[in-house]
Amino acid sequence: MNELSTDNHKNSSSLSIKDLLKKVFFIDLIQGLFITFNYTFTKTITERYPDDEKWIPYKRFRGLHTLNRNKEGKELCVGCELCQKSCPTQCITVIPMEDKTGKGIADRIAYRWEINLLRCMFCGLCEDACPTEALKLGREYELASFSMQRQIRSKEELIKPQPIPVEFEGGVIVRATLEKGDKEIKVKPDLSVQKRWW
Amino acid sequence: MENGNRDLITREVTLNMGPQHPSTHGVMHLILHMQGEKIVKAEPDIGFLHRGMEKIAENLLYSQFVPYTDRLDYLSSMTNNLGYVMAVEKLLNIEVPERGKYIRVITSELSRISSHLLAVGAWGLDLGAITIVLYAFREREMILDLFEMLCGARLTYNYMKIGGVRGDLPPGFIEKCKEFVNIFPKRVDEYEGLLTGNRIWLRRNKGIGVVTAEDAINLGLTGPSLRGSGVNWDIRKDEPYLVYDRFDFKVATGENGDCFDRYIVRVEEMRQAARIIEQALQQIPDGPVNADVPEFVLPPKEDVMTKMESLIHHFKLISHGFKPPKGEVYSSIEAPKGELGFYIISDGSERPFRVKIRAPSFVNLQGIDHMSKGAYFADVVAVISSLDPVFGEVDK
Ligand code: SF4
Ligand code: SF4
Repeated sequence: MNELSTDNHKNSSSLSIKDLLKKVFFIDLIQGLFITFNYTFTKTITERYPDDEKWIPYKRFRGLHTLNRNKEGKELCVGCELCQKSCPTQCITVIPMEDKTGKGIADRIAYRWEINLLRCMFCGLCEDACPTEALKLGREYELASFSMQRQIRSKEELIKPQPIPVEFEGGVIVRATLEKGDKEIKVKPDLSVQKRWW
Repeated sequence: MENGNRDLITREVTLNMGPQHPSTHGVMHLILHMQGEKIVKAEPDIGFLHRGMEKIAENLLYSQFVPYTDRLDYLSSMTNNLGYVMAVEKLLNIEVPERGKYIRVITSELSRISSHLLAVGAWGLDLGAITIVLYAFREREMILDLFEMLCGARLTYNYMKIGGVRGDLPPGFIEKCKEFVNIFPKRVDEYEGLLTGNRIWLRRNKGIGVVTAEDAINLGLTGPSLRGSGVNWDIRKDEPYLVYDRFDFKVATGENGDCFDRYIVRVEEMRQAARIIEQALQQIPDGPVNADVPEFVLPPKEDVMTKMESLIHHFKLISHGFKPPKGEVYSSIEAPKGELGFYIISDGSERPFRVKIRAPSFVNLQGIDHMSKGAYFADVVAVISSLDPVFGEVDK
């Protein structure tokens, strides 16, 4: 039999003097109050989001999709449609086309690339499926908006450079400012002021 | 009730508790037949969160179902992923490399801690001890941070994949995890300081919802609810999977089978899980994390970019999936809430013919009538918390 749990029972069933004194002087309750009281003097761990602070996720975070370019600035997506096939909820639409350069199949790119965020569950299977590393799930997570239409994001928007550089480690709370627009509400981070909470 | 005073006997009333009651842990609907303040019968009415998981599985490729298992017991997605991928691996007869196994152990033990933290925290909240949930959530946040670093999500991890895990440990993970394991036992002492000896906590939990060992087995309870009654049954010890046989840990058991024992078992399990993680972090070997079986497991991204053969496998696996041999498997693991089993029937096509999920919360929930019979209404709240049902898993 395990000794871990049993001692607690024994003590309380046979009430000794010590236990009685503990009961009379409310030691059990004072012990708890003491723990909470001690926390008055420790560092605050809460985060003042969205007014002053914002959490920058780690590198592997699975937020809004991003489409990437290679170093020369050419789109990496080759319109292979693998992301569309791998998606369990069928929320990606890819229509491929040939580039205007006339190189034929060697220059296949996506004519339309759309993601329906209303269906997406951010599982990351599309990211695993992409053979060219064009598709990555990014670190954007403020996706609430006032219209359903806004939740369908296309290539033109996703291919823009990321506000948080890819090399940035993340996992920190940074200073931020709240910006209210009529279409969306955004919290702009300032990466220079950082803190860790543990 | 025959033992009460005859004059005081009232008409039996039926009270609906939930599905929006704050202390019913999600969307539980409990129909309570009451005689005054005493419970005559407690009937759980389930199905409010039914999404047809088992049916969804029949329409997806084997690998595509993994993110759906996240949404079963959403408080410990990692173990759900593990249960499913282990069943498929058994069907395909794949062996995961050592490092992959260690990573799986570390993540599922972290998951166990985070699940128990929420169980104990919410339990305190339900019984009026609000402080504990704040402290428990702080440690839970740390684990979620670790998971975010590891797999990019804080709740629905989708980290395990058939034949391994989605990515190796990122740099800095082991150090952070060690830091957490060092802090954690002290924090557990703190929780115990708040609850274990507290007279209100004892009054609300001791002798409440008693279920004997024999009844617990007959009801099919598993996990802390079974061990609280003194039955020493833990799949990690008794039918070791992954590398659990290499670690030194104790299986916590209770004696009386009341709510308090189930609480003690959970607290002790958190301590033991921290010990397992510590040992696993020391023993973890280097090497690949994914099995090298190109017919079933996606090849690594670097190979896809450079080797023609890997690219072909990649295209084929993503667009058509794989065809496992015909057959049936059952594989179960010790999830935080009990035995989580997946029973898969394959007809040789790329989609499962049938997936049956043996969800621990679903089975444990049927103990509620037995535990709350004859108790007061307020005790039902303690009983629900001590069973720790999660409705994603009950309703499937
Ligand atoms: S993250 Fe998952 S659900 Fe979303 S588009 Fe990618 S594969 Fe589909
Ligand atoms: S994003 Fe990747 S997977 Fe999707 S079409 Fe483009 S190259 Fe193919």
